Amino acid sequence: MPRFLFPIATGLVILTTWWAAHALGAFPIGTVPSPPEVAAAFGEELRSFRLIDDTIASLYRVAWGFITAVVTAVPLGLAIGRFAGTRAALMPWINFFRSLSPIAWIPFAIIWFGIGDPPAIFIIFVATFFQVVLATAAASAAVPKIYYRVAQDMRFDSKQILFRITLPAILPQLVIALRVAIGVAWMVVVAAEMIAVRSGLGFLIVDARNGLRMDLVVCGMITIGAIGIGLDALFARLTKIRSLAWGFER
Amino acid sequence: MTAILELHAVGFDYGKNRVIDQLDFSVGKHELVVCVGPSGCGKSTLLALLAGHLEPTRGKIERRGQSRTIYQDGGTFPWLTVRDNIENGLPRTIVGDARMTKVDEWLEIMRLKEFPDHYPHQLSGGMRQRVEIARALAAETDVLLMDEPFSALDYQSRNRMRKELVATLAERPRTVVFVTHDIEEAVQLGDRVVVLGSRPANIRRVLDLPTTRPRLPANPGVAEAEQAIMDELGLS
Repeated sequence: MPRFLFPIATGLVILTTWWAAHALGAFPIGTVPSPPEVAAAFGEELRSFRLIDDTIASLYRVAWGFITAVVTAVPLGLAIGRFAGTRAALMPWINFFRSLSPIAWIPFAIIWFGIGDPPAIFIIFVATFFQVVLATAAASAAVPKIYYRVAQDMRFDSKQILFRITLPAILPQLVIALRVAIGVAWMVVVAAEMIAVRSGLGFLIVDARNGLRMDLVVCGMITIGAIGIGLDALFARLTKIRSLAWGFER
Repeated sequence: MTAILELHAVGFDYGKNRVIDQLDFSVGKHELVVCVGPSGCGKSTLLALLAGHLEPTRGKIERRGQSRTIYQDGGTFPWLTVRDNIENGLPRTIVGDARMTKVDEWLEIMRLKEFPDHYPHQLSGGMRQRVEIARALAAETDVLLMDEPFSALDYQSRNRMRKELVATLAERPRTVVFVTHDIEEAVQLGDRVVVLGSRPANIRRVLDLPTTRPRLPANPGVAEAEQAIMDELGLS
């Protein structure tokens, strides 16, 4: 059997088990929906475009939170990694904030940003920012000194050192960090939407639960998982870039 | 002969650790000086001082002209292709299409013209060293500092690289300081061999080797020079 069929086979086993257990009455009524009920919910949600709107809403928040976090975290991480003074001053605080679950920020997110996209974006930002700072700092502190000596011989100025030595040298590790971070961001947006907003896949799940629509809950969960796989695959492709291969093939 | 590099009573400490003490010597234009000494005697520190990567704790170093250092391994930029690595080495005075022509020339000289688009990690150790040497020579600086450049290679590649280096330097003379722990290599390559004692590094002896390069073990004076170095280092 070709390899790509393996996960499909696993999926069929899960589906069959679920379906059989449901048919045999293994679950109390109303606790677990059957596969056809979930399929019907999918049809309904797709026809009304609600599922698509919710997906777009969630992805929009993740994109904003993730991009703003990366754009600010990478420079800060570089400063921490390259300068011992900055590292000493900031590293304990980065670790302090990193240890706080992003969910703990929800009360502040709502008080500061009200209702709608901004609090959810803020939660994504918090979840991603400290992780990327830490990964960038670790990677840039570990760039071999030899590259900087070569750059000194070549009379590189500080801009050239940044763009032609430090950044390319940390890029493979940064790509891995971004891949981990996008996974966390996606996980967190759903949690944020359960509280702060009235759209998105997280809201879909909470709303469905309030209406006792477990078929819709499962429909939302499947969508979230599938998009999670998609995002991960997208970032995994970055590791295939030719000029980054040196960081992964050793 | 004009001195390109001059060391006056140079000393260097890492913290309280005295690595180099009272080093006095000079290197003339287009001379190839080999510093030989036991591992950990401060040879790499000496090169870093000559390159200006480190400042001496005591004494003074006079430098005329720019230098490039060639390292034992891992000095090439892994994120750049062979072509781009060499291109990075070129002086900025070379512009436009002339840069590519120059790179092609170096690819040819260093027998790398089949691999311009390879990345360093896709090459053998010997080929990677040739990229590094090409990049350093392409810079057209007056001084080349070589930090055990062939010691990560196998015996055969090492011998071939020595010959190639001698041939390349014959056509494009440079002032070279070459450090190694390999006595045979020192005697084969050097116009002059500076024998360093272990920490703190100081000069035990200077040997002049007047015959032309590359020297073979059977050439007159080679065996004697090797013996003299071994004696000096307490290895015989």
